Amino acid sequence: MPRRTWAFEPPGLVGYDAANDAMHDLARRRLERQVPDSLILLEHPPVFTAGRRAKPEHLVWSEQEAAAHGAEVHHVDRGGSFTFHGPGQLVGYPIVHLGGRPDAAAYLRSLEEAVIVAGAELGAELHRRDDVQTGVFAGDDKVCAIGVRLMRTQVTLHGFALNCDTDLSWFGGIVACGLANNGVTSLSALLGRDVSVDEVRPIVRRALGEAFDLSFEDPPTEELEAFRSPLVA
Amino acid sequence: MTSIQMPQLGETIIEGTILKWLKAEGESIERDEPLFEISTDKVDTEVPSPVAGTLTKIIVAEGETVPVGTELAEIASEEDAAPAAASATTAPSEPSASGSSGGLGHDAADQDASDAVAAPPSASPSPSGAAATAVDRGPRSQILSPLVRKLAQEHGLDLSTIAGTGTGGRITKADVMGIVASGGGQAPPAAAPHAGAVSVTPPSVTTAASQGEAIEPISHIRRAIATHMLASVNETARAWTMVEINVDHLVKLRERSKDAFLATHGVKLTYLPFVVRATVDALKAYPMVNSRIDGDDIVTPRAVHMGIAVSYDAGLIVPVIRDVDVMNSVGIARAVGDLAARARSHQLKPDEVQGATFTITNPGPYGSLVSVPIINQPNAGILSLDSIQRRPVVIEGDAIAVRSMVYVSMSWDHRLLDGEIATRFLARVKQNLESWDFAEDLGV
Repeated sequence: MPRRTWAFEPPGLVGYDAANDAMHDLARRRLERQVPDSLILLEHPPVFTAGRRAKPEHLVWSEQEAAAHGAEVHHVDRGGSFTFHGPGQLVGYPIVHLGGRPDAAAYLRSLEEAVIVAGAELGAELHRRDDVQTGVFAGDDKVCAIGVRLMRTQVTLHGFALNCDTDLSWFGGIVACGLANNGVTSLSALLGRDVSVDEVRPIVRRALGEAFDLSFEDPPTEELEAFRSPLVA
Repeated sequence: MTSIQMPQLGETIIEGTILKWLKAEGESIERDEPLFEISTDKVDTEVPSPVAGTLTKIIVAEGETVPVGTELAEIASEEDAAPAAASATTAPSEPSASGSSGGLGHDAADQDASDAVAAPPSASPSPSGAAATAVDRGPRSQILSPLVRKLAQEHGLDLSTIAGTGTGGRITKADVMGIVASGGGQAPPAAAPHAGAVSVTPPSVTTAASQGEAIEPISHIRRAIATHMLASVNETARAWTMVEINVDHLVKLRERSKDAFLATHGVKLTYLPFVVRATVDALKAYPMVNSRIDGDDIVTPRAVHMGIAVSYDAGLIVPVIRDVDVMNSVGIARAVGDLAARARSHQLKPDEVQGATFTITNPGPYGSLVSVPIINQPNAGILSLDSIQRRPVVIEGDAIAVRSMVYVSMSWDHRLLDGEIATRFLARVKQNLESWDFAEDLGV
């Protein structure tokens, strides 16, 4: 039976802190079984985030340099290393209860699979690189970063970041995902045309729905308040 | 002493790194309170303590990476500290098993069998989805935004009396403001939703009320049950088949075993475990009966997850015994007791009322002789266990004798099954119940 899932698609650019707080709040309530699963699909203003395994030397720019470029640096509680979020990148935060016997590895594989399926629908041939790292690649270049945390081993937090028409020069500020020998790419670069977040969002949503057997519904309006931040366009 | 181990977070994850201990040696910790954080590949998680007690020893330090199953720490649990009270403190871990016998109280004369589980004769289980939602929306766990809560408080409204119109029956700001606008804010809670209506409605309403009609809004769970029952009737091609089963030896077995069973296992012995076991075997023999329609496909799970219809104050719910095909009668009896007790104390989790592959309803204890249940979609069938009765039957040698007999029937979906399979399936259930010796299975 499909899992009831609130689909959040807040418009504009959503500040990292607002989204992070809202995500943790939804996960806490999901853990207490007060709300169904959620899928948050959004875009952030430019921000570098460092996972728990991030090494300081992987931040190429200093925090001051990043700030001068208009990006903040956030240290967050997900797994993985440094990554970048910003306009043109579809960020997905699935808040999913993995049940009594959580299989985090299977969850990551399903996330990857959904992005691969979405890429195929757009005409991009994407794949896993189990030899390199979690995430979705085109050749040696990463197009979608994945970093996840579980709340109490059961509810998923954070998620994936798929470059649609992201300005890839931002990734010069970090050693993305701690991988010095792999590049970063976007769907637009791969397909040779402008592929916008708006074009990709519904395709990714459908692919995730099929991968996790989700049945989407609109969240109650008051739940959307949490995603309002001064940065919302 | 409880040993804390590196948890398994997935079949392919073989090791994990301790990121941080959230407690120091000597600190006390509550059950389910986060104890440490681990990192595996790209997944981090905090891990809650399985017991309450004192963290006595940290074996694996922060930053170390160890295989799944490695002992990480020791916790002296509260039970360790008070060995004399051991039996008292362990009791809560299985309260449901023994608690079920006390709280349910359907001691029908010759069939307290169903003390654990019963559904009203005319009702049928609500599909698991509906039940799950119902749990979510129990009055105590109603999802409310802080705004709605605040508004309700300001206007003195009792939220439990408000029928929500938001997503999934949620109470929205508009609902609250609507009642306030209609003057309901100051009215007694129960009358609030109708306060406006009464004043504008001509005498008929007043007349009806004076003739002793109680009016109350349809509850969320009632609405969910109604929706899913109707959906099942509309979507399935329901057919029905009944067999009569001689359960004389089961009645005798239960009579002589029930006291020892209760003493040994802490849960009452009913007929349900026998019927579940016999049904599981028949489902294995006829997997189509365990299947469901999913779009253009027929999906047939290997495992059997048995939905058991349970009536409780708010209506009807179908908790699911997962992987019932690997359980013996004792395991089933415990699971039934546990789920039924928690269903009735509103403590079931949504996951526990989802995913049934087949359903059994048990109106017998209320005295029904034959029931025609509505199928718990998306199941292919629902089996009804009705009253066991002493009846005159023709036995071998053309003699007439008195035996304990029961009608067991199944509503089945003719889209998935045909009469031959449905009937062979029921015949198998009958054959199992009449020929199996459950004595050893009871462990008494």
